[in-house]
Amino acid sequence: MAENTEPRIGVFVCHCGTNIAGSLSIDDVVNYAKTLPYVAVADQYQYMCSTPGQKKIDDAIKEHNLTGVVVAACSPRLHEPTFRTATKEGGLNPFRFEMANIREQNSWVHMHGMWDEATQKAKDQVRMAVAKAAKLEDLVPKSVPVEKTAMVVGGGVAGMQAALDLASAGIKTYLIERTPTIGGRMSQLDKTFPTLDCSQCILTPKMVDVGRHPNIEMMTYTEVEKVEGYIGNFDVTLRKKARGVLTPKEATAKGIVGGGCNGCGDCSAVCPVIKPNPFEMGMAPRKAIYIYHAQVMPLIYTVDFDSCVKCGLCVEACGEKKAIDLEMQDEFITVKVGTAVLATGYELFPVENKREWGYKQFDNVINALEFERLICASGPTGGHLVRPSDGKTPMKVGFVLCAGSRDNTGIGKPYCSRFCCMYSLKHAHQIMEKIPGAVAYLFYMDIRSFGKMYEEFYYRIQHEGAKFIRGRVANVLEDKETKNLHVYTEDTLLGRPVDVEVDLLVLAAAVQPNEGANDLRKKFGVSASQDGWMLEAHPKLNPCGTTTAGVFLAGVCQGPKDIPDTVAQAEGAASAASIPIHMGEVELEPYFAMCIDELCAGCGMCVNLCPYSALSLGEKNGRTVMVVTEAKCKGCGTCGGFCPGGAIKMQHFTTPQIAAQIDAFFAGGEQ
Amino acid sequence: MHEYAFFLGCIAPNRYPGCEASAIKTSEKVGIKLLPLKGASCCPAPGAFGSIDLNVWYAMAARNLVLAEEMKKDIALICNGCYKSIWEVNHILKHNDELRDNVNEVLAEIDMQFKGTIDVWHLAELYYDDKICGVQKIKDSVTTPLSGAKVAAHYGCHLMKPKKERHFGDTENPMWFEELIGALGAEPIQYRNKMQCCGAGGGVRGYDIVHALDITNEKLINIQEAGADAITELCPFCQLQFDRGQIEIKEKFGDVYNIPVLHYNELLGLAQGMSPQDLALDLHAIDCTPFLQKVL
Amino acid sequence: MAAKSYNIPELDKKLADRRYHLSDTNPEFTQKILKTSRTIANMCYQCGTCTGSCPSAPRSSYRIRLFMRRCVLGLENEALTDPDLWLCTTCYSCTDRCPRDIAPTDVIMAMRNLAFKRDIVPKNFLQTVQLIYTSGHGVPNNDVNRAARTKLGLPADPPTTHSYPEFIKGIQKIMDHYELKENADRILKGD
Repeated sequence: MAENTEPRIGVFVCHCGTNIAGSLSIDDVVNYAKTLPYVAVADQYQYMCSTPGQKKIDDAIKEHNLTGVVVAACSPRLHEPTFRTATKEGGLNPFRFEMANIREQNSWVHMHGMWDEATQKAKDQVRMAVAKAAKLEDLVPKSVPVEKTAMVVGGGVAGMQAALDLASAGIKTYLIERTPTIGGRMSQLDKTFPTLDCSQCILTPKMVDVGRHPNIEMMTYTEVEKVEGYIGNFDVTLRKKARGVLTPKEATAKGIVGGGCNGCGDCSAVCPVIKPNPFEMGMAPRKAIYIYHAQVMPLIYTVDFDSCVKCGLCVEACGEKKAIDLEMQDEFITVKVGTAVLATGYELFPVENKREWGYKQFDNVINALEFERLICASGPTGGHLVRPSDGKTPMKVGFVLCAGSRDNTGIGKPYCSRFCCMYSLKHAHQIMEKIPGAVAYLFYMDIRSFGKMYEEFYYRIQHEGAKFIRGRVANVLEDKETKNLHVYTEDTLLGRPVDVEVDLLVLAAAVQPNEGANDLRKKFGVSASQDGWMLEAHPKLNPCGTTTAGVFLAGVCQGPKDIPDTVAQAEGAASAASIPIHMGEVELEPYFAMCIDELCAGCGMCVNLCPYSALSLGEKNGRTVMVVTEAKCKGCGTCGGFCPGGAIKMQHFTTPQIAAQIDAFFAGGEQ
Repeated sequence: MHEYAFFLGCIAPNRYPGCEASAIKTSEKVGIKLLPLKGASCCPAPGAFGSIDLNVWYAMAARNLVLAEEMKKDIALICNGCYKSIWEVNHILKHNDELRDNVNEVLAEIDMQFKGTIDVWHLAELYYDDKICGVQKIKDSVTTPLSGAKVAAHYGCHLMKPKKERHFGDTENPMWFEELIGALGAEPIQYRNKMQCCGAGGGVRGYDIVHALDITNEKLINIQEAGADAITELCPFCQLQFDRGQIEIKEKFGDVYNIPVLHYNELLGLAQGMSPQDLALDLHAIDCTPFLQKVL
Repeated sequence: MAAKSYNIPELDKKLADRRYHLSDTNPEFTQKILKTSRTIANMCYQCGTCTGSCPSAPRSSYRIRLFMRRCVLGLENEALTDPDLWLCTTCYSCTDRCPRDIAPTDVIMAMRNLAFKRDIVPKNFLQTVQLIYTSGHGVPNNDVNRAARTKLGLPADPPTTHSYPEFIKGIQKIMDHYELKENADRILKGD
C-alpha cells in the first residue's frame, strides 16, 4: 500500500451482547463515526470477535480499500490479537489496527442512567482511535530464538508435575526448591479427599520419578536470586544455599571417590543440637543435621547452620564418606532458560491473629496441618491422634471452618480458601474411623463441596455420623481443669446459641501465599492480584499464563485450589511453557524504541534510564549513537519521553500518533 | 504536670464520690492534674440517649466537648460509658463533616461551636501511657502495697470496643489492666470469660433488671471461682452493677458473693495511703472491710 | 395459612398466614438503618458469630442475627415491634468479631432510633431523658451523697450543671431542638 495515499479507516462498533449495547447507543456511535475524517466505512455487530464479526473487517478492507481498522469494543487485553489477525486476513499489516475500549472504560462503569453521557464518551473514544489509526504504520514483529530449557520454581506437587511433563516432552528442566526436599505441602498430608488415597502413597512415586528423570535437574535447598532477560532467554541466577553436606556426585567431583551423603543418618544420631522439625509443624524434634522425614527426595542430609554448634561429631561419624563440610558457603550459579513455571504454593494464615479462637493460647486448639501430622501414620505420634495437653485420645473433636477465610475485618482473608471444607470432612472421617465412638462437630457457614465426587463425600461423612452445626465460631474458652474447650456460636438453623464442649479443636485456617513468593514474583515481573496471589494473564482464558511472556503459574501460588485442580493447572502450565520451546522462536511485539541516528547526540542519558538494560551506546558511521537491543526493549517509552533531542521513536506509540489522539480529544468533535 | 479537664459524668460524683476524690488525689501524685470542667452534664448516657436519638446524643456530647475546647484542655475521665459518648462523638465529629455541620447548627442556638481541637482520654490509659505516666510511675507512687489480695480485672465494654474504632488492640484477652493492678502490689487473677459485659449497658439494667443481673451473676460466678478478694473496674456504672447488683442478686436469686467492688482509682488511693474514709467506701453496697483487712 | 377466611376470629388467628411476602418488606428500612448506623448493615451473611458472642442471647429469645436478617430484608414491622430489640447491652462483642466487618450493635441502635420515631420505647429510657432535661444528670445527686461528698472535702455538689445550673438552659435548648422532652412526656403520659 502506498504510504502517500489518503488514509481510509473502517470503524466497527461491537454490541458485546448487551454489555455495551445496554448502556449506550451503538447506532449513534456508528453514525457519528461516519462523519469523522478518513472514515470510509462504519458498521456494527453483536459480537465483533465472532466469525461473522471478523469477516466484516476482512470484507470491508477489501471492498473499501482501507488503510486502517478501528474496533470499538472491549479491552485490547484479550481481543487485540483477534482483530489484528482479522486485519491481516483482509490484507493489511496487522499493526494497522487500533482498538477503542468502550466496555471496561465505558459501558461497564457507566451502567445506570448515563446513556447519553456514555454514548458521548464512546464517540470521543472512537474519534481518538480513528485519529491514531490514520497515522499507524506497517510494523514487522521480531523473532528471537528460544532456549530449549525450562525452569520450575517450587517442588510441591504442582512443580513436580510441571517438571515431569516438561521433561517428558523432551525439555531439560531445572526444578528449584528452597527447602531440602521436594514434596511440598502434599507430603505433609495423611489422606486426600474424596478418594481417601494415602497422600504419601501417591506422591512418593512421583518424587522418585522426578529424582531419576534424565531431563530434570533437581536443585533443592536453592533459591532464585536474580532474573534477567525475556521470553526465550531468561538468565536466572540461583543461590545454592550452603547445605553443609555433599551429594555423591559433588563428592566425586571433589575427588572423594565413593564418598558423599548416602542418607545413612549416622551424623544425625550423634548431633547434640535439638530443634523443632518444621515438617512436623514443630511437634517432633530434629537435629542440627537433619532430614525432614524418611521419604525425602533427595535423601541428602542438611546442616542448619543457624543452630549448628560446629562440634564436629557428625564429621567424625560420617568418616570416609567425607560428606560433611561445615565450612561450606552459599554458591551462585546462573542458568539460561527459555520459559519458567512458578509453583510456590501456600502457607497457613497465622490463625493466632484471630484471638477469639485461642490458637497458641489454649493447648488443645490446633490448626489443620498440625492435625494432618497428628493423624498421619508417619507423623510424630505414629498416627495416634492425641491432644497436646495430656496425650489423651480425644473423643469429641470440633472443626472450625472458615477460620480466617471469608473475613473482611482486615485480620483474616476475604477470599474462600476453597479446600478447607473438604479436608475438614476428611478429618471428621478420619477421627470416626480411627477412634471408635469419637464424634466430629463441624462448625460451618456453607459446605462448599464443588468438585467431582465431593458432594457425595459430604453425604458419606454425614452418614458416618459427623455433626454439622451451621454457625461460624464466635469464640472459644478453655476449661482450666480439664483443658477441654467450649465452642460458642449460634446454630443459625435452630436459632439457638451453642456451647459445645470438645476435647480437641481444629482450626481450618485460611491459606496465604508462601513467605517469599512476593519477592520471587517480582523477580519474574509477575503481578499480584488484589488478594495477594499471583495474577494470571486472564482468569478464564489464560489461567496459566502471566502478563510476562514466558512465565507461567501452577498451583496455589495463583489462588487456593485443591490437589486435582493444582495438578491440572500444572499440566496446563507445562504445556504452555513448552510451546515457545517447541516453536524454537517467539515473535516479539514490535513496540521497541528506535534511534533516529541523525538526531541522536550520543549523550547516553537514556542508557541509564532504561529499566530493562536494553540500550547502549555504539559507533555508527563514525558517530556515537544509541543502540537498542530490541529483544530486551519492552516499549515502555521511558527513553522516548526523556530524550532531549527527540531522537527516539517509540514504535506504534509515536509522537504524531499520540498527538493526533490528544488533538482529536480536545477538538471535542468540532472539526 | 499534665493538665486535663476532668469530665465527671453522673455515677462517680453522685453515687460513688470516692471515685472522684481518689481520681483527683491519686493522679496528682503521678503528675496528672485534673481541673474541674464547669457546667458539664451527663455524657449523655450512650445506652439510653443513643437508643432514642443518636443526633441528640451527638449534640449533647458535643456540648460537653466544647466546654473543654474553650478551656483548651484535653478531657480525662474515669467512666467507660462517658468514654463512649465523649471520646466517640469527638472522633465521629472530627471525621464526619455532615454530622459535624448538623451538630454545629444546633450548638449555634446556644452560641457554641464544635471545633475538634481536643482529645479525650480515660485516666487509666494515661496511667498506662509511658509518655504521660507509665506503670512504673504508678508503682513508685505506692506506699501501701496491696499485697496478698487477689483482684479480678473487669475491663468493661465501651473503653476498648469496638476495637476497630479504638486504639487498645486486642479485646479478647488484653493484659494491660492487669499490669496496672499488679503495680499496686495486688495479684491480678485470670477468670473465665473475663471480657464479658457486666450486663447493665444499653439500657438493659433499667429495661429488664433480672436479665441484666443474670449476666452479672455469670460474671460473679466466674470471678468467685477464681478466688477473687475484690473486683476492680474502670467504670462507675459497671461498679454500680457489680456492687449494688450483688444486693439485688441476693434479693432476686438468693445468691450471696460479698465480693467488694472498687474502681481502679479507689484501689490506687488505698495503695497510695488514702484511708477508707477518704474514699467513702462506706457508700459501697458490699462491705469492703474483709478486703481492707487483708491488704492494710 | 388458612385456605380462606372462616370469619371465626379464633380460627383466623390460629391459621393466619405465616409466610413472608414481599409486601412485608420495606427496602427503605434497610437504607435508613445504613444511614443511621453508619455500618454496612446490608452485607450480613448470617454466620451467627454475633449471636454466639452475645451475652443476652443465652438467657433470652433475643437473636441479633435475626435482627440483621430483618434489616437485610427490610422487615421493618417485625424488627421494630419485637421487644427483644431492647435486650442488647451494647457490649460490642459481636461488632469486634463480625467477619463481614459490620457493627451489628450499631444496627440495633439505629433500629431503636427508628422505633422511637414510632413511639416504641421502654419507659426507663424516657425517664433518663426527663432527668437530664431537669438536672443535666441522668443520675442526679442526693442528700446522702452530698453529705458524703462534704466529708471527703469535695463540694456538696460537683462542678457540673449541679453547681452551675445556668448551663441547664443550653441543654434544654438542644433537647427541645429535637423535641425530645416533648415526645418523652407525651409517650409516658400515653402509657
